Amino acid sequence: MASVGPFIDVNHPTLLHGCARAATAAEAKYRVQYPNSRTRSSRIFALDPGAAEAMYAITEDPWNGAHFLTVSNARPVDPAVTAASGLPIAHPDGSTADLLAELEGADVVVLLATRGDNEGAAEVIAREAFGRNIMCAGFALASGQQDTQVDRVVNSMRRFARVLVVARDNDYIPAMLSALRA
Amino acid sequence: MLRKEVNDLLTQTDAGTPMGDMFRQYWIPALLASELPKDDCPPVRVKLLGERMIAFRDSKGRYGLMDEFCAHRGVSLWFARNEDGGLRCPYHGWKYDYTGQCVDVPSEPDESGFREKIKLRAYPLVKIGDVLWTHMGDKDNRPPLPTWEFATVPAEQTYTSKRWQECNWLQAMEGGIDSSHVSFLHSGSLKTDPLFKGARGNQYNQNDKKPVFEVVESDGGLFIGARRMAEEGHYYWRITPWVMPSFTMVPPRGDHPVHGHFWIPIDGENCWAWSFDYHPTRALTAEERQAMIDGYGVHNQYVPGTFRPRQNKDNDYLMDREAQKRGESYSGIWGIAMQDASLQESMGPIVDRTKENLVSTDNGIIMARHRLRKAAEALRNKGVEPPGRTPEHQMVRSAARVLPPDQPFKDAMKDDLRVRPGVKQTSV
Repeated sequence: MASVGPFIDVNHPTLLHGCARAATAAEAKYRVQYPNSRTRSSRIFALDPGAAEAMYAITEDPWNGAHFLTVSNARPVDPAVTAASGLPIAHPDGSTADLLAELEGADVVVLLATRGDNEGAAEVIAREAFGRNIMCAGFALASGQQDTQVDRVVNSMRRFARVLVVARDNDYIPAMLSALRA
Repeated sequence: MLRKEVNDLLTQTDAGTPMGDMFRQYWIPALLASELPKDDCPPVRVKLLGERMIAFRDSKGRYGLMDEFCAHRGVSLWFARNEDGGLRCPYHGWKYDYTGQCVDVPSEPDESGFREKIKLRAYPLVKIGDVLWTHMGDKDNRPPLPTWEFATVPAEQTYTSKRWQECNWLQAMEGGIDSSHVSFLHSGSLKTDPLFKGARGNQYNQNDKKPVFEVVESDGGLFIGARRMAEEGHYYWRITPWVMPSFTMVPPRGDHPVHGHFWIPIDGENCWAWSFDYHPTRALTAEERQAMIDGYGVHNQYVPGTFRPRQNKDNDYLMDREAQKRGESYSGIWGIAMQDASLQESMGPIVDRTKENLVSTDNGIIMARHRLRKAAEALRNKGVEPPGRTPEHQMVRSAARVLPPDQPFKDAMKDDLRVRPGVKQTSV
């Protein structure tokens, strides 16, 4: 029997809140009501036009400071010769963005892809995120796609993402971002 | 984080609620068959999805599950006499058969036809495996009978238990698809529990506490893959299937029996944690079965004569800080089942998900909530049948396997994740 002094036995608490019986709805009202987290800094990258289209559908929603960015597909990105500062990314309004500046202070990076042909850009972003200890998650949007296409998307992101989700419907993107307080 | 209105939608399962309507689309476990062991045995009180009912087995072995209270004056039929093909209320002798039909009102003339106007709401109760299953929805939209492998293998290959968990069903179920807690909360038990220890896979669990996750939607729910480092650059994969609304399986270890759960709402603040163990191709050994009875693995010990765990909130789950310090138990709580339940109950009867801070590795949970919500809303607004009702959705297995790094589990383990009669589970 654990004892911490001449009179107190920790296994026999005096008040209800001192034991597991306090896990009631009535006791829940005494929980500390102050916020238990600060605003997160999320960066969402659409790696291809299909992903960008899905992303644009939600950028106007009220987010907690999430930044939505698109990667230009004008030419393939060779990660071996592309520095972070050289990755062609843009804000939803079309203005140019800088990857290094965007990752400054970021908590989580989310990669969205509907195709597997922008693996190079994913590597550049993920490499930079890894170097800064930023969690990187990948989302393969499988809506209307065949398994082989989805496999290509998933395989392109597997090396970089600590979490990989294959979602059949694009409406999972806002659900996931809301859950993560993006 | 989940908005309050969504949390309410997912956690409330009484009649008339969206999730209540959804649970009523499925056959769900109602009782252990052993609770009604013989004809004319004592009736049993049952509460499911916020409805209080009485279950009984009549003189001809027919199972009944119906409104607990006599239509006359509201007496609980737990006090009834189970005799001659029905339950007779001891107050004034009204009698009901297994369909809930009143078959005798002694005070009224037989010829009056009065008794035929009295019928208690009743649901089917069907024995499959060790379990009595019920469907509490529309009888004209009844799904095929359940085909879960644990319930359909020969009796000597399977064992099922249930325990009362004092919290909402959803937070209990979310523990069942949260693979990342195993390396912490259950780390002590992986070394000592007779139904877990000794598997090569345990070493991978212990050595790599930062698994990488892949969440893949399936027709019936999800496959949640947790990937850890194995030898020579290979990956050790553990795949947890979730089938809607509340069936989960634990990836197997070695040749130990495979285990899993159903999480069934009793009401908003309580649920039944159903736990099963089975082996697809061999009988459970006497030692394995005894270990299950003794509360090892996913099972638990009881307050005698009840389904309440011996370790419960009234005794702080018999917390043992010394065992925690000795490294025998990561949380200080004995047994895998109660390690989970103690923490889930500590969240409160219905956890306030507006306060939570989920991270990317919680995507299995996020996706499950998303699919539940979508299915509940599609059912309510468009009458769309939810996934998980059909045999092809139910014929899933958990699996564990070491794969080369370039092989996605959803392809390489496709066969491993399906029930293959006569083929043992894929395990490491």
